[in-house]
Amino acid sequence: MTKALEGLRVVDIGGSISTEYCSKIFADYGAEVINLEPQSGFETRKSPPFIKGKDESAMHAYLNTKKLSVRKDKLRKESLEDLISSADLVLNNGEKSELSSISRGVFSDISWYGNGGNYDNFIGTDAQCFALNGMLRGLGSVEGPPIIPSGYQAQIVGGMAAFIGSLGLVLGVELGNNKKPSLVETSIYEASLCFTEVGAVSFFNTGLEGRRLGVNRFAPTYPLGVFPCKEGWIGLTVLTPSQWHAFCKLLKMEDLALVPEYQTSLGRLQDIATIEPVIKERLLNFSAKDLFYKAQEEAIPLVQVPTMEELLEVDQFLEREAFTFAVLSDKDSIKVPSVPFRLMETPPSFGGYVADLGENTLSFDK
Amino acid sequence: MKTNNSLKGIRIIDLSMGWAGPLAARNLADLGADVIKVESCENFDWWRSWEATQEWIDDDGAEKSPAFNSVQRNNRNITLDLSRLEGRELLLKLVGTANAVMENFSGSVLPKLKLSYEIFKEVKKDIILLSMPAFGSTGPWKMFRAYGSTVEQSSGLPHINGLSSDPPMMHHVAYGDAVGGLNGVSALLIALRHQAQAGEGQFIDLSQVESLFPLAAHGILEFTANGKEPLRNGNKSEFFAPHGVYPCVGEDKWIVIQILNEDQWLRFQEIGGADMKRFGDLKDRLSKLDDLDKTIAKWTSTKEAQKLMYILQGAKIPAASTHTMSSLLNDPHLNSRNFWQWLDRAVVGNQPNPSAPFNINGKRLAIKTPAPTLGQHNHEVLTGILGLKQAELDRLEDIGIIGSKPKMPSS
Repeated sequence: MTKALEGLRVVDIGGSISTEYCSKIFADYGAEVINLEPQSGFETRKSPPFIKGKDESAMHAYLNTKKLSVRKDKLRKESLEDLISSADLVLNNGEKSELSSISRGVFSDISWYGNGGNYDNFIGTDAQCFALNGMLRGLGSVEGPPIIPSGYQAQIVGGMAAFIGSLGLVLGVELGNNKKPSLVETSIYEASLCFTEVGAVSFFNTGLEGRRLGVNRFAPTYPLGVFPCKEGWIGLTVLTPSQWHAFCKLLKMEDLALVPEYQTSLGRLQDIATIEPVIKERLLNFSAKDLFYKAQEEAIPLVQVPTMEELLEVDQFLEREAFTFAVLSDKDSIKVPSVPFRLMETPPSFGGYVADLGENTLSFDK
Repeated sequence: MKTNNSLKGIRIIDLSMGWAGPLAARNLADLGADVIKVESCENFDWWRSWEATQEWIDDDGAEKSPAFNSVQRNNRNITLDLSRLEGRELLLKLVGTANAVMENFSGSVLPKLKLSYEIFKEVKKDIILLSMPAFGSTGPWKMFRAYGSTVEQSSGLPHINGLSSDPPMMHHVAYGDAVGGLNGVSALLIALRHQAQAGEGQFIDLSQVESLFPLAAHGILEFTANGKEPLRNGNKSEFFAPHGVYPCVGEDKWIVIQILNEDQWLRFQEIGGADMKRFGDLKDRLSKLDDLDKTIAKWTSTKEAQKLMYILQGAKIPAASTHTMSSLLNDPHLNSRNFWQWLDRAVVGNQPNPSAPFNINGKRLAIKTPAPTLGQHNHEVLTGILGLKQAELDRLEDIGIIGSKPKMPSS
């Protein structure tokens, strides 16, 4: 079988979580991806979490399977220029680079705030993107402080947005719609607005500003959230009257099913003090896993909320090979997420080898 | 600003509803694809409303949903009653002119409509079908029900967010939708590239839950690489201090401050004054974390959040004030970059539209048209693409196959 992105060469000169997630999608679908790393290696090699007993980043391993690693400082000038000019796509992290002028394909720059604008010189982080996109203020207890989402979530979203712009432009060149060379500049902050832009537009139309209502409270829907069971946790969303009736029957709280005020999400939210203790008490009669299957039989959007250990054992994810392996140079391997979407005629490669720093330099130094 | 034509000549038939699918379609339309959204007057996109009433219909409620309108720009919109033979046949004729079809129904809906990848392939050999249900199109959960919230709940993300004293914390009412949408457009672009190269279409199986795993990767890897469930420490970091969200002047005003290295800490000490001098290097700060956080909170509580952000960022210290939905529309950075594009839209008037998060060749991608109204392009599409005559359109409208007003469901 062919690979959908076969024949494309992508060179990552940025080495950020965003550039590496963007190029990971290219690599998963068959493009040749070359990490052009400084002497000290890409910054992601120092990004937590690290692998137990090794001085290696698990995050770097996850993001860099199937890619080649070339040391920039070891390449002669003409080899470096040949490599950059031969690339269909060069990925950069927003830092100024002399290589942009050599690029002959699409040059894709992924920075925190984009090039230009009031925050142009700001230092960015994932937490700051969530603060500025308006999401952070809604998270956590009413009294505060708001709680920062963990990890690299804004950077991953930035990498996805950059993938869309980058492949869109590369495809435009192949279709004869775009001219080369061209530049695409992605702002991680603006990419993170995908979560909240609807809220801002809604505010413009309604004048209603949401308040922080507490952990897992999102007006106007109730019940919605994560609740403890006898064993494990369930996630629940009840929107429609039929879902409410089915949920009440499932938990043997039929007396609540037909209360007129409880037929809408908002009505239930307004009487949360009465409803929630009953729901919490009834849930303690079930294991999360049992309740999940029973609820789904009744078309209630209710799921088990898995811990990391449980996630790896979920039958749905096992059958779909949602996890695969990143193989390290010492032949050790770690389990990593595979690919969220599968093209059935041109399937992706799952996981693969993670190159050591500069492992492929000689192949590119003519 | 400039319109982008990267995907000129590509036609997408969008059967998806809600947020995830339409967001994917929006990205394709921004890049110049001809996206034709198909709804029906009875089974209209539930993001217009999932609690429709006759009063809502009479009041043009279907055209007033900010959520719906914000993801439909640059599209064309037609109505076809797909539950009836004529509507279904017209859809298949349209599919015969397209590169791809996309849908995000639960697993039972397409079969009920007697539609499938195989049927689409019969009318267009190289068609692509993107299917993006919550749990994917294969596996024991393929028929299970979910919303965007369910997607986040089942992805494991809640177990790596929040405080251990609280239940596992969700981010959003529909966190999975936006991420599913970005994955959807990515998948379609890859398939379109293969279609252009090899002349082959294919079925795309996307799982919205698995689309969130990369966002949870740091937690998943903590377990697979170290055998440990990640700690839910809220704003505390084991690598940085200070690292938190601190109160500022005014109700519910906050600033995020994260000191990532010792140079930043030294500059922060200068700005923060004498109280900050009590704290030394990272080890010292981590050992006195509660005291440090209280000292900083006391200091920030007399400061205006946005001003303090500019002061700290001016000294190259990572800081950001928290926006509300109203202040987001007035964000000076976004406004200086023309992020919000204002377009006049039927029924609701002038509206802010968020731009694509990437600029091309130094220019914003201009939004050509605001969200269309229901069935706005029936005539244009059905006569222009399918060659129907006006009399035929009139007949289709008379028998309710097409239309431009929602109807209450007949059963």
